[in-house]
Amino acid sequence: MSKSLRDLHDVELAAQAAAGGRREYGELVRRHGSAVRGLLRRMGAAPSLADDVAQDAFLQGFQRCSEFRGQGTFAGWIKKIAARLYLKRVAREARYVAEAEADEAAPAQDQAGSMDLDEALRTLSETERVCVSLCHGAGMSHPEIAAAMNLPLGTVKSHVKRGLDKLRARLQPVAADGRSLHVG
Amino acid sequence: MSADEFDPMIERLFSRTPTLADEALFVATLQARLEKRSRWRGLALTAAGLVGGVLAVREGVNFNFSGDPDTTLTQGVRTAAAAAQGAAQTGLDSLGLGSIDLMGGSGMLAFWIAAGAVAALLAAGAVKLSQDV
Repeated sequence: MSKSLRDLHDVELAAQAAAGGRREYGELVRRHGSAVRGLLRRMGAAPSLADDVAQDAFLQGFQRCSEFRGQGTFAGWIKKIAARLYLKRVAREARYVAEAEADEAAPAQDQAGSMDLDEALRTLSETERVCVSLCHGAGMSHPEIAAAMNLPLGTVKSHVKRGLDKLRARLQPVAADGRSLHVG
Repeated sequence: MSADEFDPMIERLFSRTPTLADEALFVATLQARLEKRSRWRGLALTAAGLVGGVLAVREGVNFNFSGDPDTTLTQGVRTAAAAAQGAAQTGLDSLGLGSIDLMGGSGMLAFWIAAGAVAALLAAGAVKLSQDV
């Protein structure tokens, strides 16, 4: 008896998609669509642009599915495609000319008191935000980010470090009395 | 919070998939685009096949088999053509259409009729695909 699509592993679905299986690829999109869209939004894309780029990334992923052989996760693979497409789109629109000033939003806490990464990311400059998202969201190495963004490796490392420092300051647990705990 | 505590935490936060309300719409839109691309691809392949087929038929008809009657290739082609025509004639005989003589002067006409039928079939397929797109 054949397994239903939901029972299949990503690698199996990708193999069938590489052979032209659109239904199998649809299942992969259902599983990872939100993660890819979320990553693009975290990188600073407006929701409509994020969806547009995510669609293009998944279409490109379908054509290149035979290249995915399960070395990493499918999510990581498709996220890298999406992130690179977004960077190309941004570069084309020359939005990297000036870095956006970090706004001074209040420390990010949602109603349940949990840490809100999306809110905290908005306090980073655009380049820091993209670098941190590529590093921790898309799983790209610093050299990969440097190549994708056409930036020197040292600059990328600085942006990631500064971004993480800001996130750490924003995301640190808040004590019961509302005061921030010491940052180690 | 120390770096040792922070690094795993940031990884965990990034790995959380946000819940997006229009997830189903996103998947449906993408699948529609995949279907559309697939149809266009089929259409393009059909068109390429049609053009290639027409060119092949044209070249085949214009090929001068009698240019060098002594070569093995020419003799082989002639033998194969005669065998094919003989087989087709036998088929016509069994269908009660034995009066059509493929071995005679109407052989080329039959060839063109068959080629035309194939081209018409391909064109019909292309039209149907284009209607689906």
